[in-house]
Formats: sequence, C-alpha cells, structure tokens
Amino acid sequence: MNKHLAYGVVAFWGLLNGLSLSVLAIYGEASMVYWLWGGVVALLELVAFTVWLSSWRGSDQHANYRVTARTGAPALPAAIAVLLAGLSFAYGFWLLIVSLPLLAIALGMAAMPGLAGKDV
Amino acid sequence: MTVPATSDPADTRTAEPDGWLGWLTTTDHKRIGLLTLATSVVLLFLMGILALIMRGQLAQPGEDLIDAHTYNQVFTIHGSGMIYLVMTPFAIGLGVYLVPLQVGAPALATPRTTLLGYWLYVLGALSMLCGFAIPSGAARSGWFSYPPLADSDYSPGAGPDLWVIGVAMSAIGILLMAWAVLWTVLRKRAIGMTMLRLPVFSWSMVVTCLMVLGAFPSLLAALVLLALGRGDPAIFDSNVWNIGYQHLFWFYGHPVVYVMFFPYLAAVAEVLAVFCGRRFFGYKATVLSLLVFAALSMSVWGHHMFTTGQASNDYYSLTSILLTVPAGAEYFGMLGTLVGGRIVFRTPMLFALAFIPQFLIGGLTGIMTGTPVIDYHVTDSYFIVAHFHYTLFAGSAFGLFAAVYYWFPKVTGVMLDERLGKIHFWLLVVGANLTFLPMFGLGYKGMPRRVNTYSSVDGFGLLNLLASCGAAVLAAGMIVFAVNILRSLLRRRRGGLAPMPDNPWNAHTLEWATSSPPPPENFTPDRPLPPITSNAPLLDLPMAQKEAEGANPGKTAQPGEPAGPAERSGL
Repeated sequence: MNKHLAYGVVAFWGLLNGLSLSVLAIYGEASMVYWLWGGVVALLELVAFTVWLSSWRGSDQHANYRVTARTGAPALPAAIAVLLAGLSFAYGFWLLIVSLPLLAIALGMAAMPGLAGKDV
Repeated sequence: MTVPATSDPADTRTAEPDGWLGWLTTTDHKRIGLLTLATSVVLLFLMGILALIMRGQLAQPGEDLIDAHTYNQVFTIHGSGMIYLVMTPFAIGLGVYLVPLQVGAPALATPRTTLLGYWLYVLGALSMLCGFAIPSGAARSGWFSYPPLADSDYSPGAGPDLWVIGVAMSAIGILLMAWAVLWTVLRKRAIGMTMLRLPVFSWSMVVTCLMVLGAFPSLLAALVLLALGRGDPAIFDSNVWNIGYQHLFWFYGHPVVYVMFFPYLAAVAEVLAVFCGRRFFGYKATVLSLLVFAALSMSVWGHHMFTTGQASNDYYSLTSILLTVPAGAEYFGMLGTLVGGRIVFRTPMLFALAFIPQFLIGGLTGIMTGTPVIDYHVTDSYFIVAHFHYTLFAGSAFGLFAAVYYWFPKVTGVMLDERLGKIHFWLLVVGANLTFLPMFGLGYKGMPRRVNTYSSVDGFGLLNLLASCGAAVLAAGMIVFAVNILRSLLRRRRGGLAPMPDNPWNAHTLEWATSSPPPPENFTPDRPLPPITSNAPLLDLPMAQKEAEGANPGKTAQPGEPAGPAERSGL
C-alpha cells in the first residue's frame, strides 16, 4: 500500500477537485469554468500517472540518488532571454533578436557537459 | 553519478565555482533556497516601505504626502509585491531548503530547473519594480489588475506591461520550484520515510505544490488575456472576457492565499510540537485536513465575484463556509499539542502562539465575507483590507517569523539573539493589531479601499491615525529584526561565538540530525540518517537506542514501524 501512496495522494487530490466540480455543475456556472477546472483535474491526474509511471518498477523510497554534477550556469542567461522576450511585448519585437540567440546559448550550455560543468 | 543516501561529500561534491559565482550558478538546494528566502526578505522590507508611505498619506484627512497617481502605483506594487514576490516565494523557498533535508534526500529533484525558477523570480521582481523608474510610472490598477481598468485605454504606458511580464515570470519561476519540491517529496524520500512519516511541514509542501500546479497556470492564462487586451482593448468591450478574466484570475487568486498559508501553518505546527516537547497532536487527521482544505480552497474563488452577479453565489458561499471544517481540525491539532505540553516560551514559540488567535481573526472574517449578504455590504471597503492583512500579516507573516527564528540556527549555525527576538515579537504583536484592527471599524463605517485621501467630515480620522501609528510600531519591530539578523551574521563572521549544538531546540525532524549548517550532501558518514520510525524520528531516537542496548525491550517511543535491518542497510 505504501508504494502506491505517493501517486495515490495526487490522484486522490485531483478526484477531490473533480468532486467539487461535479457539485458546481449542479448549481450551474459559465462553460469556461468547467473547461478551466476540468482541465486542472485532468492535469492533476496526468501528474499522478507520471508519478505512478516513475515509481511502479522502483521502490517507494530511495537508497541511491542521482545527484547532478553540473552547475546551473545556463539558468541565468536562459532567464534573461525569457525576460527580453517578455519585454519585446512592451518595447518591440526587435528584442527577440537578442533574446533568441541568448536562449540558444543557454540551451547549448545546458546540453554541453564541457561548458555546463563536468560529470564527476 | 549515483550516491548512497548517506554519502561521503568528498566523493560527490558538485563542481561548483567558489565565491559569488558559485552562488549564482549553484545546484545545491540549500543555496537556491537561501537565495530565494533572502531575496524575498529584502523585498519584504521594500514592500514595507511602500506600506509606510501609504500609511503616512492616510494618517490624517486631506494629507498631501503623495498624489493620487503615485498612491495608486504604491498600493499596486505593495500588494503585488507582497503576494507575488514575498509571501509565495518565501513559502516555496522554505520548501526548497527544507524538504530534501526532511525527507532524507541529498538533493532536490531537477536542481537546475529550480535555479532557473529562482532567476525568473528575481528578474520578474526587477521588471515589476522598474515601473517606478519610467516616466509613466509603475502599474496602478491593483494586484488583480481587472480589465478594462488595466487595459491600455485606462492604464496607458509601459508600467502595466512591465507588471504583466514581472508577474508572469515570477509565477513561472514559482511553478518550476514547486514542481521540484513536489517531485522530491513524492519520489526522493529516503529508506524508511514513508508518506505517513513525513513531517507536517513536508506534507504542507505537498499540498502547497499541488495547489501551485493546479492554480498558477490559470494566472498565466489571465495574464495572456490581459496582455492581448492591452494590445487590443476592444477585447474587453465584451463582458465575457471581463468576467472571464476574473474567473481566470481568482481561480489562481484564492488558492494562492493557501499557498501563502499552509507552509507557515506547518512551520507553526513544527514549532508548537518542539517547544511543547511532544509529538504534534492528531498527525493523520491534520494531514487529511490539509488535503481536504487544499481541495476545497480550489472551489471557493467565486466568492471574490459575488457582487458581479455573474457567479454561482450559493455554491461559492457553501464551499467557503465548509472551509471551517478542515481549518477547525488543524486548529484542534495545534491546541491539542499545547494541552499537556511542557511549553517553553522561546521566540519561535511566541510567534507560533500569536499566530493562532490572530489568524483566527483573519479566517473568521473570511468566512463572514464568504457569505454574500455580508460581502455585498463590505466589499471593496477597509473591512476587506483588515481581513486579508489579518490572514497574511498577523497570521502568515507571524508563521514566517516563527520559521525564521526556528530554522535560522539550522541554516547559519548561529542563534538569533533571544532578547532582540522578544522585542521584535512584542513590537509586531502591538503593531499588527494596532494597524489592522481599526481597519475593520473603518470598513464598517464605509471607508472604501484604494482611496488616497478622505475628508475630515467622513469620521475616518482617528481610526486611520491609530492604524498609521501601528504601522510605525511595525516598522520599529522590523528594524529590530534586521538588526538581529545582521548582528548574528556579523558575529558568526568575526568568530568567537560559543559553539552551538547541531540541534539546539531538541527538535524532532530529520533536518536536525545533520550538522548546522548542513554539509553539501546533507547527510554524511559522520552525520548519518537516523532510523526513520515516525514523523518525529529524533524523538524516537533515545528510546530506539535504549532498546538497542537491551533496556526497555520491545517498547518503542512511537507506534510507527521501526526500521528493520534491511531498511537500515541502505542508510
């Protein structure tokens, strides 16, 4: 039972939301609300399924861990790229000329172990 | 690289650069957590200064400290900052720091994505605050920025755009961090740490992160709608999208209140148990009530829309009132822990004790405003301002300070000064109640929120003056807090402090089993994970040791299953 509790928690919580949504349907609400909340219930069940997929072959608890040996160096340029992309909405899409290459550099750094840090 | 749960740091330390660059590019959950916590505390002080400006403006009738245009920017950024940039990130930051330690993991799941989340949060904050530096000023349509007020016809200039970008970035950042925390609890627990042995704080992070996952995408959808509306305000000519925005926004906006509540409630629960020297009363009922509370909190958003006449008021009123059931169970757990406990009145405990009645005032007035007949009377008045400041400041922020005083020795290896802590506490108790209690009266007398001034004939003068005096007392308390933090950190840097035990409070949970501050891999051969036999493993330890030595055979301190040899082999 314990092995199933982690994804069961997520699934149970999603179902509680589904229950509240079904009671709302009795009272009536705008159709957008059903799509919105129904989408969230579906998302939560998807998360529960992901947890189940991740755990069904392994143990519920860990004896061994995979610890990243890479630094988080790509995170800051990636975040700046996202900021510039956002600012392009206010100050013009020319900012994408800076943002997109920066994002590409960040992704490249993330993909290349030599630049992102070394695997120990 | 695969490491055992208890590992030799020499084998596994990540190749991080030293110095500030190491901090900026770190994948250590403790550093990311500390960066998040420190950033949100700095922003807390900034938002406090904005609050003081507002209270200065409202201290007397007809005051002319700032004009209406500036006042609108100040209350918008104060509210937005406190919610998007302070209380929510601090709650998630606590989870980033503490959850791996509490579940016995050496690291957080997806640490690089978590760091990306931190940077998105920081740059989002900068974007929002940069509004003050541009000629048209910062956003000025409130923390929920309803259209059509927030569209480009009624709120021209780049300030509101910067606000949209800032809120979106910080929300995405929090989503990334919450995912990492949730996955860590669900999939990275150490041997022996079953779900029903998780500390209350880790459980609170599970439900908090589930709410973030369920509710924050809705905020992003609302912001996209607002951004489109700022590009083409004609979108908001249709009432469908005005009301649609409110649904999208409040589907996020109400659950986020609990995102800013559950971690602090759980911090209070941990403090109560430790400073009563006993287990938290009603652990399983509290866990269940957290799950139910969180699910119900997803269903009450429409009570913010009662007065639109376009929400199903009966339903939202019913679910809002139902919230009292799980909330009552949690209060019962806290009071049950106090009854029969050997209470020690240290600073974290004082903040935890004050949290209980003060949050109750905020919670009960929330139930009042969750009733349409009362809400129609008090909506958009100072009664609402008083209500949410009792929940978020007199409640959650007191939980935040309880957490800071409780975990500061764990994080830094030094204690905060107890005398300064108590001065801080009393100034905050007096200041919070002097500031926010008169606001109920102001709301009852009809003072609307978000006004920059009032006339002397309105009769609001005395209560506003009291509230402004309270704000000054709060400011004094926060200065004492800042002095206490800086003094302790300086004393640590200079050295010469008496060595502090790793577990100065005799706390119960796993983060206190390792050194203070913890090593990079959290648990080492010198400081291995103890057997995890319950949600308070360090409380079980003396009994387990006695049992191992042959005394008291067959008896354990806790009804949870003791870890067997097979389980312990992995520790």
